[in-house]
Amino acid sequence: MEVIITEQILTTDGIPLKESLKKAERNNKIRAFFLVFPLLIFIIITFVVPIGDMMLRSVDDSQINTVYEKTFEEYKKWDKSKDELPPESVYKALFLEIAYGDKLQLGRALTRMNYSKSGWKSLIKKTQRGIKKIVKSGEEPLSYKQTLIDINENWADPTFWYAMGQMINKQTSIYYWNAIDRTFDQDQNVVMQNEDRRVYVSTWIKTFKVSIYVTFFCLLLGFPVAHLLASLPLRYSNILMIFVLLPFWTSLLVRTTAWIVMLQQNGVINDVLVWLGILSDDGRIQMVYNQTGTIIAMTQILLPFMILPLYSVMKVIPKSHMRAAQNLGAKPTIAFIRVYLPQTIPGMSAGGLLVFVLAIGYFITPELVGGKDGQLIGHWIAYHLKTTLNWGLCSALGAILLGIMLILYWLYNKIVGIDNIKLG
Amino acid sequence: MSNFFKAFLFISFLAFPFGANADITVASWGGAYTESQIKAYVDTYKDPGSVKFEAYNGGLGEVRAQVESGNIKWDVVDVLPSEAIVGCDEGLFQDISMHYDDFPKAPDGTGMIADMANSGVTNLSDCCAPQIFWTYVVFFDPDAFSGEKPSRAADFFDTERFPGKRGIHTWANGIAELALVADGVTPSAVNTVLDSQSGVVDRIFNKLDTIKDDVVFWSAGSKPLELVKSGEVIMSIAYNGRVGAANLSEGENFEYIWEGQTLEQEYICMTAGTPNFDEALEWMKWASAPEQQAGQAKYITYGPMRASGIDIIAANEPWFHTGINVLDHMPNTPDKLEISVVADPVWWADNGAEINERYGAWMGN
Repeated sequence: MEVIITEQILTTDGIPLKESLKKAERNNKIRAFFLVFPLLIFIIITFVVPIGDMMLRSVDDSQINTVYEKTFEEYKKWDKSKDELPPESVYKALFLEIAYGDKLQLGRALTRMNYSKSGWKSLIKKTQRGIKKIVKSGEEPLSYKQTLIDINENWADPTFWYAMGQMINKQTSIYYWNAIDRTFDQDQNVVMQNEDRRVYVSTWIKTFKVSIYVTFFCLLLGFPVAHLLASLPLRYSNILMIFVLLPFWTSLLVRTTAWIVMLQQNGVINDVLVWLGILSDDGRIQMVYNQTGTIIAMTQILLPFMILPLYSVMKVIPKSHMRAAQNLGAKPTIAFIRVYLPQTIPGMSAGGLLVFVLAIGYFITPELVGGKDGQLIGHWIAYHLKTTLNWGLCSALGAILLGIMLILYWLYNKIVGIDNIKLG
Repeated sequence: MSNFFKAFLFISFLAFPFGANADITVASWGGAYTESQIKAYVDTYKDPGSVKFEAYNGGLGEVRAQVESGNIKWDVVDVLPSEAIVGCDEGLFQDISMHYDDFPKAPDGTGMIADMANSGVTNLSDCCAPQIFWTYVVFFDPDAFSGEKPSRAADFFDTERFPGKRGIHTWANGIAELALVADGVTPSAVNTVLDSQSGVVDRIFNKLDTIKDDVVFWSAGSKPLELVKSGEVIMSIAYNGRVGAANLSEGENFEYIWEGQTLEQEYICMTAGTPNFDEALEWMKWASAPEQQAGQAKYITYGPMRASGIDIIAANEPWFHTGINVLDHMPNTPDKLEISVVADPVWWADNGAEINERYGAWMGN
């Protein structure tokens, strides 16, 4: 007898099976979401928000635009081609805004103004004191222009007024331009930074150069070590592994300082070379406090990041592959290049990417051993973060670093493919 | 939940409101300097347990982050003069000028501000109280010279008479002034020259160019001593306190070149919005009294900013805690002040960023 199912299948409590399944699945999804929820919040708070804040800071110039709102409004009406100095209305607005503005806001704007031109700080502070006296006396100045110039002759210097033009927009790209040695002229055109102050482009190039060298040397040194580790019997390779991991677990500062002891002109290496008669006593080589020192120390410090992924990839390559290749007539070199090497690419690329990304943002080691030409871009980020308080430039430098990283990641994905990456 | 855990929670909840506000945290530079501060300003304090020091690396970055986020961790911060000015302008530090009259007076009754003026400094910001003078000074190991020893600022730049490497730091403060003195500017006129002469920065860098190939750069304060001791350099600029500590406590025999040294000042400033205003103010008063300032010189060779502090030391030599005379190592005795430059924080606040960028470019080329 044939049974024709015309009705939906019901579960025991009378709900159609389809809906019941859907419900169960939804519950699962909700449960899964709640499981990752703490992690999500953590990532948002510690990663997304700070980076978003950094991006905003790198284009934000609203603080000064609030403090000198009127002045900037009048400033925009100034025809620079006709008059050498701004009209009376600009001076008047500036006078009033300095006289009646909030002291702390003016102070904060001061720090900002000094980035556009050295000398703003003392100019505004002297002006503040001068204006205070005039306001106290209760007399209204006949000419604000003349009054300000009397307080400080720099107000008759058009370069200060031109510098003001750099700050006139609430959103600005100037920090990004500053980060590559460019700046604005009085009409917001991009021009080269003053020759003495061009430090960033060369530092960027140096950062790249050092990172590429470090990655290359890590690969060169790490590959044989990883291969040895992967091919030795376990009881030997475990002991050797300790030699890789021990420095990895040692404090960064200890390792950096140890390199200084080794490399300096009166250090261990030079002493040994002199003792062996290879170098004369006044021919000692300068190996630290320069770029060489940075590359040597960073290579050693980052080496485990290359060895470990390489090792984990090499370990799972079956030994039979090489044997089979040789069995089929390939010489060892050919077998290595055509059979073994391609299989280690996921490890090489994982290690390479890891080392390069770490190297490009390195700070402590270059700071200590870098000396005159071994400082990387991190040096300037720290300098502006702590000393000049120029957080806009800081953020721009950081954002560029992030951008470079994303571009590299994209390129890597295009060329090698991100599914090819393997850490273990 | 175990009963023990419950009890723990309960007690910590009760203790929180009392425990949290009793202590003040002072951020300072760490090392021997902070040790001397703790000995002179905390161990002698009526309630030594209530003041705790934390090391930081200078700059206003962290202070600004704390004030902007409203999460104040440091109640008092030990800063350089230019930071004292900027921090006060920006509202990162609290205006305490209305309390200056209550700060301890000198033994002869001179008020704090006048007492500082007697050492040649005007209190630069309304948010801070005085601490000490320290300097960028050139020093060397006399045993490294068989014949003539360097004695003047110009000798630091004279690689013909004194061949060998020189240690200098990776920023321009102090070096700029030294270069000008070596180039023939009278120490007392350096700040006027900096402020008024056009092309003065070029002049500094031209002078620096003469030793460009003979310098080793350092950025951590302990480095110059290692450099000179190991023979890596024949002389170096250093913080004078580090050299003093090596001489007085570690039996070294380093000599100084006082000419052209650049005096810097240290201030303690109160972070804006600190919940411990009263406690912090009270401790600041204690730490800026002449007796305590002189007391610090027992442990480190940094000079009290209050003139009456130096008087106390002079009257009580040998003053160092090991029983050695300390005034020879003090940077701000009257005879040394004549050949020293007092760094001008206003000029550096204006021009510091620009000259340091140029200095960075100079280092890298």
